[in-house]
Amino acid sequence: MRVAWLAAVVELNHFQAMTLFAFFTSLVFAFLSKPTGRERARYFIKVFLLFLLVGVGLGWLMFPFPR
Amino acid sequence: MVEETESPKTVVEEPPRPAAGVLGRSWLYAVLGWLVPGLGHLLLRKFDRAVVFFFSIVTMAGLGLAMGGKLYAPPFSAATGAFLTLLHVLSFLGDLGAGVIYFAAQLASLGGEYMGESLGDYGTVFFLCAGLLNLLIALDAHDIASGKKQ
Repeated sequence: MRVAWLAAVVELNHFQAMTLFAFFTSLVFAFLSKPTGRERARYFIKVFLLFLLVGVGLGWLMFPFPR
Repeated sequence: MVEETESPKTVVEEPPRPAAGVLGRSWLYAVLGWLVPGLGHLLLRKFDRAVVFFFSIVTMAGLGLAMGGKLYAPPFSAATGAFLTLLHVLSFLGDLGAGVIYFAAQLASLGGEYMGESLGDYGTVFFLCAGLLNLLIALDAHDIASGKKQ
């Protein structure tokens, strides 16, 4: 079963899903590992961008090998 | 000729071990933090972290369910082979990390079937990672309560 009212709202493409995943994971990592607001902000931006970069990079690497 | 000199020895003092009562209480914070994301930090008066953790984990798990993600639960069929069974058991443990969200989703019969589409796969990973991150958060609450971390 699927949450029907949410499923109607959540129609994401691959990049949007990856971006949301990167956002929340980076946020949690930043608050877990850094004590001050400034450090957290820098760490969040760094990890978030790395998530996106590695995700897109791996996507390009896998492009010649479709299922 | 070079004389051999002894390097100065530094004496590292071990931090004092927490008392048994403190240790027991710190595990209580960890369990509460596992059951409800951010509750351990809230009780430890780390309000900013509690809000961020609760918001992040609940949103990730909710998005996972909304995308049609599959939740793993026993019984595990051995007919699929030992490797797949092991993966299912590990996925179940990861899902279980979401605490009360996992139990509520199971009670509501959500995530019972594999949706067979890419968004459903994303949903499965969203919920699984929400559970794993929540386990890290619970351990963080334990470390704060036992004085290993501020």
